[in-house]
Amino acid sequence: MPRLLSGAFRLKNDPRILKLPPYLSLLCLLVGIAWLLLLPLDNYSRRTYISENALLPGQVHTYFGGSDQNVFRAYKHEVNSLADSNATNPAINDKLSEIFAGIGLKTARQRYGYRSTSSGVEAHGENIYAILPAPRGDATEAIVLVAAWRNVKGEVNKNGVALLLTLARYFRRWSLWSKDIVFLVTPDSAAGPQAWVDAYHDELHGGRVGSLPVKGGALQGAVAVDFAREGRFRSVHVAYDGVNGQLPNLDLINSVVSIAGGQMGMGVGIQEMWEQRDGYRERLDTMLRGMLKQGLGAASGPHSAFIPYHVDAVTLQPYGEGWQDEMAMGRVIEGTFRSLNNLLEKLHQSFFFYLLMGTERFVSIGTYLPSAMLVAANFTIMAIALWVKSGQPEGEVVPGLEGKKGEKARLVTERHLFLPLGVVTVAQALGVVPLWVFNHTPASLQTTVFAVFLVLNTALPHVLSAILTRTYNPTTQQYQLITSFSLLLLGMFLSSLATLNFSLALIVGLLSSPLSFVRPAGRVAWSVPLAIISPPAVLALTTAVVKDGGLAPVGDVLREAAFGWDVMGMYTPVVVWCVWWPAWLVGNLVVLGRPGRKDKVA
Amino acid sequence: MRRFLSFFLLSFLSFCVAASDYHEQLVLRPLPLSALLASFNFRSNTSLSAFEAHNYRFFPRSLGQILQHAGTRELHLRFSLGRWDAESWGARPWDGAKEGGTGVELWAWLEAASEDEADHKWLTLTNALSGLFCASLNFIDGTRTTRPVMSFRPEGNHPSSNSTNMRLFYGVLPREVVCTENLTPFLKLLPCKGKAGIATLLDGHKLFDASWQSMAIDVRPVCLPGEECILEIEQTIDMVLDIDRSTRPRDNPIPRPPPGHELKCDTSKPYHSDDTCYPAEYGANQQWSLAQIFGRPMKGTCPLSDPKIPPVCLHVPDSRGVYTSGGVETITSKDGLSRCFKVQPEAEFDLVLSHVETEGVAPPALAGSIIKPETPSLYAERSFTGYGQERGGVQTILRNPSPDKEVEFVYMESLPWFMRIYLHTLKARLDGSLTEQTSLIDEVYYRPALDRARGTQLEIRMRVPPSSTVFLTYDFEKSILRYTEYPPDANRGFDVAAAVITILDDDDDAKSTPGGSASVSSSNLRTTTLLLSLPTPDFSMPYNVIIFTSTAIALAFGGMFNILVRRFVAADEGPEVSLKRLKTRLQTKLGGLFKKLGKAELKNE
Repeated sequence: MPRLLSGAFRLKNDPRILKLPPYLSLLCLLVGIAWLLLLPLDNYSRRTYISENALLPGQVHTYFGGSDQNVFRAYKHEVNSLADSNATNPAINDKLSEIFAGIGLKTARQRYGYRSTSSGVEAHGENIYAILPAPRGDATEAIVLVAAWRNVKGEVNKNGVALLLTLARYFRRWSLWSKDIVFLVTPDSAAGPQAWVDAYHDELHGGRVGSLPVKGGALQGAVAVDFAREGRFRSVHVAYDGVNGQLPNLDLINSVVSIAGGQMGMGVGIQEMWEQRDGYRERLDTMLRGMLKQGLGAASGPHSAFIPYHVDAVTLQPYGEGWQDEMAMGRVIEGTFRSLNNLLEKLHQSFFFYLLMGTERFVSIGTYLPSAMLVAANFTIMAIALWVKSGQPEGEVVPGLEGKKGEKARLVTERHLFLPLGVVTVAQALGVVPLWVFNHTPASLQTTVFAVFLVLNTALPHVLSAILTRTYNPTTQQYQLITSFSLLLLGMFLSSLATLNFSLALIVGLLSSPLSFVRPAGRVAWSVPLAIISPPAVLALTTAVVKDGGLAPVGDVLREAAFGWDVMGMYTPVVVWCVWWPAWLVGNLVVLGRPGRKDKVA
Repeated sequence: MRRFLSFFLLSFLSFCVAASDYHEQLVLRPLPLSALLASFNFRSNTSLSAFEAHNYRFFPRSLGQILQHAGTRELHLRFSLGRWDAESWGARPWDGAKEGGTGVELWAWLEAASEDEADHKWLTLTNALSGLFCASLNFIDGTRTTRPVMSFRPEGNHPSSNSTNMRLFYGVLPREVVCTENLTPFLKLLPCKGKAGIATLLDGHKLFDASWQSMAIDVRPVCLPGEECILEIEQTIDMVLDIDRSTRPRDNPIPRPPPGHELKCDTSKPYHSDDTCYPAEYGANQQWSLAQIFGRPMKGTCPLSDPKIPPVCLHVPDSRGVYTSGGVETITSKDGLSRCFKVQPEAEFDLVLSHVETEGVAPPALAGSIIKPETPSLYAERSFTGYGQERGGVQTILRNPSPDKEVEFVYMESLPWFMRIYLHTLKARLDGSLTEQTSLIDEVYYRPALDRARGTQLEIRMRVPPSSTVFLTYDFEKSILRYTEYPPDANRGFDVAAAVITILDDDDDAKSTPGGSASVSSSNLRTTTLLLSLPTPDFSMPYNVIIFTSTAIALAFGGMFNILVRRFVAADEGPEVSLKRLKTRLQTKLGGLFKKLGKAELKNE
């Protein structure tokens, strides 16, 4: 140990060491990115496998079909007539409740009313659900089949609801269910399921969500059907992203893939990769799409609401032109339910942290986490380097190792911490302002407010920098310390975020990576590239590129974010405004700074 | 329901004194939603003196010896499965007196001079019964045993002399799966052993496919004034069969979709066609026969049973046609709501309940096809509230449907020790009001849990006002178990036994009824069991990887960071660190700031 200590001591005073960090930091970034690009290769990703043997996916015969199709057609007529007549939510529920009663199931309803000024959606409605009690069981466990009346795109989920009704009738005939089965029809795909799951766990949000009159056992899993398209289909798309990038247990996805792909012989797709090919590019594409979705943390279907409560859930959406009919879709659901029914315990094997590269390839957290950690580490390295550098006498070339080492080590100047700490604290505190503004602006004004904010945001560093230079005229050392503290915070936030939401940490880390290399330049020109990577600018640019419609779609994105924040507890806005934005602001301040002489302040 | 069953109970009691010592009867009762309640009742007596002289006749010897050995005066054993759907099926059979919560329940009054002796006898009893009934009753140890104070009353007549020495023990195993191995010993206790009489209908395949079933054994001494005391054993099996499921033939048990032309459709729909069928109502109007429902016809009667009592009774309105096999005498009750059948001792017996004839496709009114179930005096539903691994809550919703009568009852919970309840959070509130109403709770008996030694016992005497709903809630904390305390099997969670609700009859005339002198009439109901998930160690998961690596990195990183960044100086060399110094520094800083501001103001002036 003493040897290590003295070694480290000697190393500390080596001038070469101080030149190293920027390169080391760059290396971390590059390795982090390269790591990510390596993941799709066969050697770094793994084939998926069923870890929970009790699931036995695709091991049972499915009997849904035959005359059940006649029933399906009849229910479809009923659903169509409701959809065509634009029936109100209560009217739809009256009809559904009548059908459920005809099947012999008891129904219950739940009202909810989320009022979120900024999302513009006064999400209120009435959920209806029926419980098929486990024929021989007690009310200890339950699985859920969800069909939202309107899917994420706002289309009426005609086939989905009709299929749910037919399956309810079919499931009632079996006596093998070990868990209660809940059939849930919600008016929409976001607020409805959220309200229902919240109420199931007695989170009533101060009366905004009605309590559930009837409950089954503890929820063990959920499957949502999004079947709005007409006609025959080719494949099933599995949507699995939860709010805040949480994912369902990989075993559930594997089971669906194995049942739909293996047993039923239909294709399975994920992440909107409609063409199924298995090459490096496709895998990378799938993975990046998945990471983008995870990073945004928005709900991707009715299943998303279940995942925060540790209820594993997926949404199944048929797509493509093929020869599979509604009954085949029903058999996929039947098979999945039979598998879930086999579970003796909660899904706990397999993985909760993974990136899928295809339906049958994944990487688990141990393999992918280093890339986000390396990106986060680059900030920490720079922060430490700047701290050390700030302690060394300014302008003095540190002599090499020759001479008396002990004396050289003492050549350390006093650090003036007050101003740097103050600047970083103020910047962090300012982050609350955009967070509050965008979550409280009325929906119609979101786009306007955003445009104003974009302009202000570009001007803000210049104004602040002018004030800072005029009043305090910070020294180089203080600029170094400002950067160091800001980067230290960023590195810390990102490395802890990486364990919760890997993709968000990586995206924010990559977008703010130039911030580790900022130096006081004193030139306005340098702030232009930084202005482009500011959070609002990135938002505006990406929406403009993806949706090519100028600023208008930004309003939609912001509305969605506000809705997610208000209703689903989505924390992406917090990360953007309270982690990324302050770091960017400080970085820009530093770039614009003109360090004064030390003696001026003292 | 109550009326009919108590009618038969009374008729039994009045007969049993006079004539034979063994009776059996099956009561069939169609329920809404195509369910059928079948109540089997077997009752035999032996005189107490004969019993004490080891002279058993109809009383099963195996059980009798256990009872004598363990000094048991009264015994109640329940094996139950599934749940009673009170919303659709109404009041429970026997007023809930002959049912248990899911799993196995046992309570008994033991005669013992001291507590130690009583505990020892209870241990003997549970272990012996465990062997007799092939159930894990031996797992009823100290942590699962409670001593209810208000909930249970002896049903038999006990001479006052030994009542001071009688101790009540109550044990429950909610996770015990009741199955065929428990039915076989149950049938063996019967005089005809399931070879003749109504017991021939008891088939494990059908019994355990029921939506709800409860097997009960009650042993109690009955003393009628002026007669010798008798020991009575009553065995009961109640089950609710789903008619659709039960009538499915045994060689084709898979519910495949029926051929299209066999589907019952609602032809009035405009889109009705060959390939489109809106299914007709799932109704009570179904035709079935005894042999279809139970898989076999009934084989004669048990020759030992009292011939005066009709072995099979059916509760349906007179309007429904019933066909029986030959040589059966039908006795119709005067109110036209039930009929009983006397069966030839040697002949096979079958009965067919036909459809109700209706015009058109509309399903017949419920009243025409079955007798409307009686409304229970209380609905109870219990569930967990909250989520997470640390705390939780229990909410019981108690609803009194009666428009004018208040219900008073004792609510009893026996909870495992790892569910530590916070008694101060126990609240009862009326639906609609947000404040707590203490007036609803009359009395609370609480015996706190001891870790790994005994469970919590909570008994609450409370009232529900007419036509209102009361929410009874309390919070609890989940303990962390030692890792060896987790069961070795799949970790599904821990089952929490059903809450027992004993409804107290305020009118005392129940005791003065002729047959009722033998027992205090009790009316019970039980909630469903709950599944409690505790924090579970799971050594294979990424969380642990994250935790371990983070700890290692934090330790290594912290050390390295300190060495690299810290400046090591001797204590006397370094700057003085004290509050005083900090104060002066702050003062100079602030002073400088004020000076600056002053200057700025001066400039402005």
